[in-house]
Amino acid sequence: MESMLVLAGEALLPSRIQMAFTLASHVLLVPLGVALPTLTLLMEGIGIWRKDPVALTIARRWSVVMAVQFAVGAVTGTILSFEFGILWPRMMGRFGAAFGLGFAIEGLAFFMEAIFISIYLYGWNRLRPRAHFLVGLTLPPAGLLGAFGVLSANAWMNTPGGVTIDSGRVVDVDVLQALFTRALGYEFWHFLIALYMTAGFVVASVYAVAWLRGRRDHYQRLAFAVPFTIAAALTPVQLLVGDLSARAIASDQPAKFAAVEITWTTRDHNPEVLGGYIDDSGEVHLGIAIPSLDSLLVGYSPNTVVRGLTSFAADSRPNTLEVNIVHLAFDVMVGLGSAGAALSAWFLWILLRRRRLPESRWFYRLAALSGIGSYVAVESGWITTEVGRQPWIVSGTLRVSDAVTDAPANFVWTSLIALVVIYALIAFFFVTLLIKLAERWRREDSGVAAAPEMGVPYGPRSVPGE
Amino acid sequence: MNDPLANASAFVLLLAITAYSTAGGVDFGAGIWDLFAGRGPQSRRPRELIDHAMAPVWEVNNVWLVLGIVLCWTGFPLLFQSVFAALYPLFTLALIGLILRGAFFAFRHIAADPRAHYAADLVFGLSSLLTPFFFAACLGAIASGRLAFDQMSVAFGLVSLAATAFSGASFLVGDARRYGFDDLVAYFRRRAILAGFVLITIGTLALGAIGLEAPALLRSMLAGVGLPFVLATMILTPLVMLLLWRRRYVWYRVLTVTGIGSMVFAWGFAQSPYLLPGQLTISQAAAPHSTQLLLLAVAAVLVLVIGPAMALLYYLDQRGALEPPEA
Ligand code: HDD
Ligand code: HEM
Ligand code: HEM
Repeated sequence: MESMLVLAGEALLPSRIQMAFTLASHVLLVPLGVALPTLTLLMEGIGIWRKDPVALTIARRWSVVMAVQFAVGAVTGTILSFEFGILWPRMMGRFGAAFGLGFAIEGLAFFMEAIFISIYLYGWNRLRPRAHFLVGLTLPPAGLLGAFGVLSANAWMNTPGGVTIDSGRVVDVDVLQALFTRALGYEFWHFLIALYMTAGFVVASVYAVAWLRGRRDHYQRLAFAVPFTIAAALTPVQLLVGDLSARAIASDQPAKFAAVEITWTTRDHNPEVLGGYIDDSGEVHLGIAIPSLDSLLVGYSPNTVVRGLTSFAADSRPNTLEVNIVHLAFDVMVGLGSAGAALSAWFLWILLRRRRLPESRWFYRLAALSGIGSYVAVESGWITTEVGRQPWIVSGTLRVSDAVTDAPANFVWTSLIALVVIYALIAFFFVTLLIKLAERWRREDSGVAAAPEMGVPYGPRSVPGE
Repeated sequence: MNDPLANASAFVLLLAITAYSTAGGVDFGAGIWDLFAGRGPQSRRPRELIDHAMAPVWEVNNVWLVLGIVLCWTGFPLLFQSVFAALYPLFTLALIGLILRGAFFAFRHIAADPRAHYAADLVFGLSSLLTPFFFAACLGAIASGRLAFDQMSVAFGLVSLAATAFSGASFLVGDARRYGFDDLVAYFRRRAILAGFVLITIGTLALGAIGLEAPALLRSMLAGVGLPFVLATMILTPLVMLLLWRRRYVWYRVLTVTGIGSMVFAWGFAQSPYLLPGQLTISQAAAPHSTQLLLLAVAAVLVLVIGPAMALLYYLDQRGALEPPEA
């Protein structure tokens, strides 16, 4: 019996790593999955109403990327949903009736997305332009609904609510309360903006590279300007919304907030520490401390009292390593957000004052990096959220260690290794495919024409036997 | 103990499983025939048809799976917990098959080198066996009420492979006909008939295994609520074979799907009101009513919104409206 318990404990580490790895991989696909349809439709709209064939070509190419990436998202997402059962069966058994609600809505949304993406993609030739555009209009709301569902489930883990528990079992669920928990308010908007920002920067960064390589025609300008303008407009908004999130977790999820700010003891005039790390005795090393700024940010007054880590029992707050991860991740997110805001200001300044696109090489070099930067910011944000919740899987209610599977540790390590290998293969195939597509499109732009979707495994068919 | 809401949710869950078994089965079946297509130049044409037949609908199939799993953990958390706590190795194998398959299906489109291409075909084909076998093995372990990998799981797994191969071949006949490839029509017609014989043989043996391992289940399959569905399967499978044998290419795809769907229904209805025979009934495992209501609402929206959309997709697809122009 004892050895069983030891084994169960050992599965905790690989299970956490596996969950983190698969979620972090899946979330890379989400920004383009949710927001690329909107960008594509915008481009298609420009093409239809301004009678611009170049815009239509761009839209059509983006829709191919959308489809390939949806397929990868579908596979990695399916893995995730099984993982909840394989890795955390007791979490699902206890709270599935509440935690699962968001996913039921997500399931509905993805269903719509999967079907309409197929029709949209295959319909380029066969549907009339306006009918095709109308089919496409179903995609953004479907993506939105899906993101809502997942975020609702995640928010429930952070600020659980809407359940009545009797002797350990959920006996009643208030559906609306369980779907709309406190954390959803800030997580949803912050994440939604992150998705559109990221999609904008990522897509634009491809054409920033094209600019650096010397391509400066209408095609390149249009494909760069539309997504970059959207991202640039959203970035400042994101900083404000992120600030609201931070203030909200200070009261809703105080242990997470203490980790974010590496605050050891509860105090007023709390400094804001940039960089740096904390050790087991609460000493902060390195880093720049700005006196009283944290208190000021939270309560608009240096006298605001901020709770420290020591005000939570040692087994109910993130451990030192986790605290440092959270703090670093938060700083990376905020740092990248600020850098993005500066780049956006540069862009908007030139766009609005001079009514043209920037012409500086440095601008395009930075723009080329903005895509990767946004992905890193999104990952950092999630690390802040998830690691900051430790040691709870359901905040204050169920510990990660009580939810984990009884499977032997070796089993989980093995499946983790298998998944890492297979995901690496998928990433390799995915990138190779995109590069091949890009090469083919470049060739076509210099002459030969074919349907953009030809040769895409998830796209429309080529005629067999040719 | 009768709980109409929970029963309705359980029925929706069964529908999702059935949809995945039939729609997914057609798809996995194509993968199985890909594996059996062999290596040489003669394997090229069937492979191309298979590739072609799979492209448009395959990611839609995963959604059924996800929907089933979400319904299960939200609607019946206790079932979900016990099933996964016990059967995680089987689910893991099924999943590994699922992602390998998706990945290598993509890879074989970009592999230029013939050896890499062959390796991709092989992994794709083998994983098309892995997933249907192990998912069905999980259902077998549930049906026995023991949640263990034993004869019942093997029996369910083998039936699933045979059914999958059968429906895959039957649909490939349809695809070959659509393009007017007479040689491939003949090729897959023979294979469909062959798979039908295998399915009937294995199905009969499986009934025997169920009788030995779970006599109560067999009883309600042969003398209870499961009977109409068992009969439907027993009639429809030979009927499809007969139609194909006589080259009467009408209704055979609908009948294939109905026959296989009935098989899943036969199991599902026969073990009601139990979710886990002898251990957990539908009402014991059910989440609170409010949750069930939300699930049913989602299901209703699905039927109202998605039903027509799915129909449109299949309609466009079957009419060939989704083909690119001859570039
Ligand atoms: C483009 C990406 C991006 C950028 C520039 C920012 N964030 Fe962020 N942040 C996210 C992307 C993100 C995210 C990935 O979307 C997260 C993860 C979970 C969530 O709801 O959003 C997140 C979470 C997250 C959380 C945790 C919320 C929780 O656990 O409930 C806080 C406190 C902040 N952010 C605060 C900020 C601040 C103060 C920012 C800048 C001033 C900022 N974020 C910029
Ligand atoms: C999509 C972006 C996400 C990323 C990158 C992410 C990242 C992580 C990380 C790093 C961990 C490990 C934390 C640790 O053990 O220290 C984790 C755990 C976990 N996350 Fe997330 N997460 C994401 C979203 C979600 C969502 C939306 C849910 C559920 C709705 C979720 C559910 C879980 C669960 C159940 C665990 C395991 C238990 C735990 O360690 O708390 N995650 N995630
Ligand atoms: C922030 C968190 C997440 C968001 C916003 C999100 C969003 C998405 C999106 C947009 C897709 C469609 C594929 C694409 O377009 O790339 C997708 C696929 C999927 N996601 Fe996630 N996801 C998140 C996390 C999760 C988690 C934690 C799960 C686990 C249950 C999950 C399950 C799925 C499933 C099952 C699919 C496939 C659905 C299909 O086949 O259409 N997702 N996700």
